[in-house]
Amino acid sequence: MLRFRDYSIPKKLTWMNLLVSGTALLLASTGFFAYDLYNFRTSTVRNLGIQAQIIGSNSVSALQFDDPRSAENTLSALRAAPHVMFAEIYAPDGRAFARYRRDGSGSFPPPLPIPAGQTQVYRFQGGQVALVRAITFQGKPVARIYIRSDLRAMNDLGKNFGIIVVTVFLISLLATLWMSSVARLSIAEPIVRLAGTARIVLSEKDYSVRASPAGERNEIAILISTFNEMLAQIQERDAALGQAHDRLEQQVQQRTAQLNAANADLEAFSYSVSHDLRAPLRHISAFSQLLNEEYGSKMDAGAQQHLNRIQSGVKNMGRLIDDLLKMAQIGRKELAWVATDLNDIVKDVLVDLQPECEDRQIDWRIGELFSIACDPGLVKQVFANLLSNAVKYTRKREIAVIEVGQVEEDHASVIFVRDNGAGFDERYAGKLFGVFQRLHRAEDFEGTGVGLSTVQRIVKKHGGAVWAKGEVDKGATFFLTLTAKTSSLATRTEAPKATKAAV
Amino acid sequence: MKATYLYKFGRFVEWPAKVESDSFSICVLGQDPFGPALNATIANETIAGKNVVAKRIPAPQDAVNCRVLFIGSSENTRLKQILSTLRDASVLTVSDLPEFTQRGGMVQFISEGDRVRFEVNLATAERAGLTMSSELLKVAINVRRNAR
Repeated sequence: MLRFRDYSIPKKLTWMNLLVSGTALLLASTGFFAYDLYNFRTSTVRNLGIQAQIIGSNSVSALQFDDPRSAENTLSALRAAPHVMFAEIYAPDGRAFARYRRDGSGSFPPPLPIPAGQTQVYRFQGGQVALVRAITFQGKPVARIYIRSDLRAMNDLGKNFGIIVVTVFLISLLATLWMSSVARLSIAEPIVRLAGTARIVLSEKDYSVRASPAGERNEIAILISTFNEMLAQIQERDAALGQAHDRLEQQVQQRTAQLNAANADLEAFSYSVSHDLRAPLRHISAFSQLLNEEYGSKMDAGAQQHLNRIQSGVKNMGRLIDDLLKMAQIGRKELAWVATDLNDIVKDVLVDLQPECEDRQIDWRIGELFSIACDPGLVKQVFANLLSNAVKYTRKREIAVIEVGQVEEDHASVIFVRDNGAGFDERYAGKLFGVFQRLHRAEDFEGTGVGLSTVQRIVKKHGGAVWAKGEVDKGATFFLTLTAKTSSLATRTEAPKATKAAV
Repeated sequence: MKATYLYKFGRFVEWPAKVESDSFSICVLGQDPFGPALNATIANETIAGKNVVAKRIPAPQDAVNCRVLFIGSSENTRLKQILSTLRDASVLTVSDLPEFTQRGGMVQFISEGDRVRFEVNLATAERAGLTMSSELLKVAINVRRNAR
């Protein structure tokens, strides 16, 4: 059932008109009817009183001289008043003296007593009115006249009135409906049309539509012109927005092209450089080897040491070039998305790391990891780097504890690798994943500084993120995700404690 | 009953203005059938503000100042003389005597069963200057209009 507030405007107007005119008519007719009724009652009583008085005056001698017949004669004149049902003359001593009846039958209640100081008394009761009047003659009370009248006339009045009211009401109803339709054109229609236009604009997102102006110059005209202006503004903004968007698109494309070009250059560069660097390196390695073999016995300890230093430097550089090459390769390769069980990857990596762990006491705590679609080769590198780092940096511990597992954070599964090794100062966490960046001295822990940046690249390529938490000498924990769902995580752990590769 | 009528008649009859008196006197001439009942009946009654008094008079001449004169049945033979004496006096003559109204009287009592009725002669009354109310005429069983 619709609430009145939600009626359409034309319907509301119609109902309001009906309500107003109906109420006015009701009030008016009630007022008039009440007045009429009051008047009728008053005049009925007055007429009855007059009739009683006349009868009474003309019956005085009959009473005085005890002539009931004369009194009845006088009473019979009441036949001329069809509404009088019954009349009786009472002598001062209270006995009934003469009577008139309109119809032969029927009994009537006794007359009411007249209160002291009043000439007559009347009562409306049960569709009749009864009146008792005291008649005096030459200052002395000589009779009481009791008249009863029916109220047929009043009922007829009421009925006629009702008919008239209903008729007028129906007519005014029709008039109201007709006038409502007129008002509809003037008030409701422009609004309804405007609403329709607004709906079209909204549903078809066509801001070139305009509302057609109404003929009038009032609030409706203001509404329509304002509406049209707003649409024009929207259109302008849309156009401006579109232009800006296009410009941005252009810029983005440019930047992307530049970026791609730069990347390509960089990769090509690092690839070729690594290759080109290798050649002289091989020479140095080969010839220092030869030197050792052919002239080793002739060299003194100092010279031997120099040579060893050269060779170890060469080895280092070789590893560095290898790592660089690997990193460059990552950039060029396309990801091969395969559903991979990460547990298998970890197991493979552990097998590969066996040689390094030979003379070490390592407490491996490997948890269950999930399966995910990823590039297994690249992901293996990630684990290899992280786990070999863990092994490396726990070298100084008697028992190294290395944990691998997963945690749920913000509906995303996060993999972590934790060690109880040398840790790092979180203040320099920003440098962790930078190329060639190292937070430890080469004398303490050897390394190329490329491993973690490789990890970051691979993880980024998968749409994930990697970050670390650690404390100097208390160990480090590396977290990583392999899907884009980490965006919430990334922002949340942006707290000073952790660093991560931004997605 | 007849006694009360005597003064009640007074309420329905108008005397001419020349009859001025400070009391309304009802006189009885001849045989008095009422006795003390008449006095009792009219005690404390007033007509037109005047006290009603009852008098017994010996001769018709004494009735000139009466308003109502009741002529007893003993005066039957002397009726004509009495009435002619009172011809110019404005006195309402009332009697039981038979044919009273035909013989020049104004109001004649007539018994109807146990009811007291009366007959009036309008012309006689009017000639004496008395005006009878239609109310009275209504109640009279007969109204004669021929004066003698």
